[in-house]
Amino acid sequence: MSDFFVTSPKSEGGVTRRTFLKTASGVVAVSILGTPQLSRAHSNAMSGNMGDVAGHAKRRIDGFAKVTGQKVYARDFSAKSMRGWPQQQWHALYLRALKTNAEFQGLNLTSLPNHAKPAKVILGNQLTAAQRSPSMQVSRDLIMDDKIRESYATADPIHTTKPTQTASTSLKDKVLEQDPVSFNHPSAVVFDLIVLPGNKPDYLGQPVALLLFDTLSGYKAAHRALQFQDSQFQTYGNNSEPNKYEGQPFSPETHYVKIEATDHCQSDFSYAQTPPPKYNKQAKSVGQEVTEFIDNGKSNPDQIVQSFASDMLAMDPMFMEPESGLAWLDLNSGVNGSKANMHLVLGTQSPDGDVSSVVSMYNDEGSPTPLKNVTLNSCYPGGGFGGRDSSPFSLMLALAAGFCEGNPVKLSYDRFEQFRVGLKRHAAKVHGNVLLNTSQQILAIEGNMQFDGGGRKNLSPYVASLAALCIGGSYSIPKANIHANAIHSQNISGGSQRGFGGPQAFFAIETALDEVAYNKKWDPIALRRKNVISMGDRSITGGPIDQSLQLETMLDKVENHPLWSNRERIKAKKSSDHIQYGTGVAMSLQAYGTSGDGVIAAVQMDRKGRFTVKSDAVDMGNGSATTLGVVIGPILGANATTVDMGDHTLFGRSGLKTKYQLSKGDVADYSNPIFTEQSVGSSSACLTGLHQVHVVQQTAQALLEQSLLPAAALLWKLDKLTAPQIEWREEGMTLKGENHPPLTLEVLAKKAHDANLPMGTLGHAFFQNSWVKSEFASQQGPLTFELDGLAVYASASQKPTPLHRSVISFPPPGTSRYARYVWAPCVNVIGLTVNTRTGHVRLEDVLSVLNAGRIHVPELVSGQSQGGIAMAMGYTLLEDMPPGMQGPANGLWNLNKYHVARYLDMPLDTQYTPEGRAQELILIDPDATVPGRGIAEAVMCSIAPAISNALKDAVGVRYQSLPITPSKILRGLQS
Amino acid sequence: MSITFTVNGNQYNVDDTQGEEKLLDFLHETLDLTGTKFCCGIGVCRACTVSVAKGQSTVEEPVIACSTALSTLNGTRITTVEGLSDGENLQPIQQAFLDHFSFQCGYCAPGFVMASKVFLGWLKNAPKMTEQQLDEAIANAIGEHICRCTGYVRYYQALKQEALAIIGNPADNRLSTEHAS
Repeated sequence: MSDFFVTSPKSEGGVTRRTFLKTASGVVAVSILGTPQLSRAHSNAMSGNMGDVAGHAKRRIDGFAKVTGQKVYARDFSAKSMRGWPQQQWHALYLRALKTNAEFQGLNLTSLPNHAKPAKVILGNQLTAAQRSPSMQVSRDLIMDDKIRESYATADPIHTTKPTQTASTSLKDKVLEQDPVSFNHPSAVVFDLIVLPGNKPDYLGQPVALLLFDTLSGYKAAHRALQFQDSQFQTYGNNSEPNKYEGQPFSPETHYVKIEATDHCQSDFSYAQTPPPKYNKQAKSVGQEVTEFIDNGKSNPDQIVQSFASDMLAMDPMFMEPESGLAWLDLNSGVNGSKANMHLVLGTQSPDGDVSSVVSMYNDEGSPTPLKNVTLNSCYPGGGFGGRDSSPFSLMLALAAGFCEGNPVKLSYDRFEQFRVGLKRHAAKVHGNVLLNTSQQILAIEGNMQFDGGGRKNLSPYVASLAALCIGGSYSIPKANIHANAIHSQNISGGSQRGFGGPQAFFAIETALDEVAYNKKWDPIALRRKNVISMGDRSITGGPIDQSLQLETMLDKVENHPLWSNRERIKAKKSSDHIQYGTGVAMSLQAYGTSGDGVIAAVQMDRKGRFTVKSDAVDMGNGSATTLGVVIGPILGANATTVDMGDHTLFGRSGLKTKYQLSKGDVADYSNPIFTEQSVGSSSACLTGLHQVHVVQQTAQALLEQSLLPAAALLWKLDKLTAPQIEWREEGMTLKGENHPPLTLEVLAKKAHDANLPMGTLGHAFFQNSWVKSEFASQQGPLTFELDGLAVYASASQKPTPLHRSVISFPPPGTSRYARYVWAPCVNVIGLTVNTRTGHVRLEDVLSVLNAGRIHVPELVSGQSQGGIAMAMGYTLLEDMPPGMQGPANGLWNLNKYHVARYLDMPLDTQYTPEGRAQELILIDPDATVPGRGIAEAVMCSIAPAISNALKDAVGVRYQSLPITPSKILRGLQS
Repeated sequence: MSITFTVNGNQYNVDDTQGEEKLLDFLHETLDLTGTKFCCGIGVCRACTVSVAKGQSTVEEPVIACSTALSTLNGTRITTVEGLSDGENLQPIQQAFLDHFSFQCGYCAPGFVMASKVFLGWLKNAPKMTEQQLDEAIANAIGEHICRCTGYVRYYQALKQEALAIIGNPADNRLSTEHAS
């Protein structure tokens, strides 16, 4: 395992982007740059004209490069296009396991034509232990890390999973000895990257061999010969029992039990409110009480028990660019060949985590080629949706580089391979019961959610855990007993795909409520309105709702919209034309962020008054670079001209340390002026609207107050100037109510520079239900921001100087057990038609009422909504991907079998009319002063249940198995 | 014998033995023109669409580069996304896609650009049509293209705007005001 530590490179700013990793084999310098062409300027900055109006984006900052076909994706590059790289490029091809119930014995490549013979064949027994099972460190979620520690400390059967056996027992033992800091420890990641001959593969698609080719023609010939015919080249022993670890849950599992205090029960019991030891001890028995309470409802005439049982197949993110990358292990760079430099070109959502894992592979004890430097060119991902978050692809690429004799190597999946091994949205089975009374009040819910984690653990337990929270839907539910886990199976691994457990959970609760309403002839909106959760209520974990959700307002909007209010009339009209039509409604309350989020940004100004925003986040196409570039406009008077994403060196320069980075004996709380709860996490589209915007705006505010205002005061010959006194106009900064001449940014920047005022600020913020708020000692005196770290740049080319911090307020201990704090509510209405002869379903209209908070770039918000609807439509009706060797693990799947939503599947107008087909988006209070919300998943999450509910309305059949294919429609009609 | 064609105005002569090579591979591996994207490789998603004109004809057609063998391209003029814009000067459809925020990750954008450009070229000489017929024509042009990020709405809006700029709005002569339905 490798630890990032605080950086202090000799040359910084625009020259290098280095940080350092401490490893068993010494220190490794890591540089993460942008796309290779741009990185020649040693930056991954995107420069572009987003428009001249401060705070508004006229176009995407990355749009020009993309619409003109410039090289911005990892797949676009070869060794020849990389400056300073050797020209001869090797090619890597992994062969994949075809069964898990027989020992892999080896390869038989004799039938390969001569020109298709690989230069090298690497089997699992040729790898070192570190290569076979590199340790990984990704601290993803504070609450989950704590739960893992708890599970080991208490050996609580609810939270403890017996580690699965690995091929490398000694390594497993070694890992188990360590404090399981990372969620990836201890079990799944130690499944071998390449199966050891003589072992049963752990999962389908696990690599069994690495073939390396020193010519493109040889690679292509072999690819042609091997594709679709794997079984002819692999030998296995006799079939026997399936892998005995099949079905074991990954650690930790989640068990949320909640009983709210009533007149009869004076104390609350919940994950968030009950002290952990007591909760762990009593959760099982209290959960049983909840279950019995629901069971008793079956015999109570005033109560209704509505059961639900839904299942859904796995879904492929089907991002457009199959994973691809370049790696070059430069063996000539070390002293006497003792150390090497690794160069990588990748499109990833988790660049720092990927690099850390690669370094572990090469620098753990016993490594033959420890690394001295790692340089990652982090390219624009051609789509992500979570599928490139902690993907094993980077490890497989880096592993191949070690066997290419110092030559660059390209690993490029085609679509068949991407389907075969790419991370999936989990298949899941969800069942349980909801208890209501005849007054339409939800009294309790119990449920069990099992996610098929597939071969590798990846982020599966996190996904299951969030699903356990989401199954409470948008409702205040006094009693709950929810169990969720992710199990190991032979299937393709699940990942953090868009929705993160929400789609499965909301489908279950929203179809269950619809079923009650249908059976009892209740108005489905009235039922929901009766139960919606609001500020002051508590979620399934017992954590409080601390923000206004406006769910009732949203339901009002739906109720008054003609798509809903005229639904019976529309249905009758369609019926008269012999068309089956139905309308369905569903809500979702997607929690975003994690149980504690650290975010970081820098805002720098050049002498001409042009701004650069830097962020560690990766823009997967969701537009975060554009958003972060414009949100400084209202504060600093202009949008950024450059946005530099994926800069993971920022945290190292903040002067802050987490408890894992502090020295022994240092105080690990906010009384220590350099402590922070969390550094930064993986990139998620949902973190932009609130978290990333917050840290960028606070950091911009710090630049305003430390640089532009003092510069203006000097120019206007004032003693002091505060932010409320000024106003930005087209001509520059103006002083309200005064006749001082406006100051352009160029004038202000020059003055700031001449007066030795800061030319940039670097801010770090931590959010856990509330932001850490601190006072910083600046040249201008004490300044207060919702940041827990602030540093200033004397110039862009110098390293920032941290300012002394005194924390004013920070999240109380225990808030992490709320699990989530911020919510993105959405109500969807679907109008659809069903062809009862073919089973084909057509979406006619979609109405989405979304509370996205303040909108920064309306086009990006509606684009996320429209894309989410299309993806959810495919998930619900089209994307039919069976598990096992009937599915893409057999290597035969492509877009001819896997059907995603197309243009004609979607309504394309944006305003509802009775004649047209539209997807109308209504935003709640988009100009509000309240912060924006992370909405990348919000609209998508309740599309599937709204479709199922509309189908029930149309044909009277409840469909609870996703995808709802035409054959399922017809079967339902026949039944 | 050789196969002769042009790509973005440059002429290439390829030996007959390379006839089975796919156009997309040639663009990527020989010309290092990677703006044309590989996605499915089997001609379904259309991310690899380029425009091709045959012989002396000025009529362009959309061609799926991942599934088109070089042997079928003798005497053609091929245009890829790299051949469209001149520095900062974009084709109208490229500008429209930018202005409408039509794409997010952008990987499908070159395919949409090329298909749309071909469509708009055809539209200049197309017979007058109703609005519904125009929508159907747009669907024929880009309906098979896959976009996983934005859900097609913004591509549709941008292309329809450009189409209307060519043939006029419903009040004009070339776009019939008669509703086909």
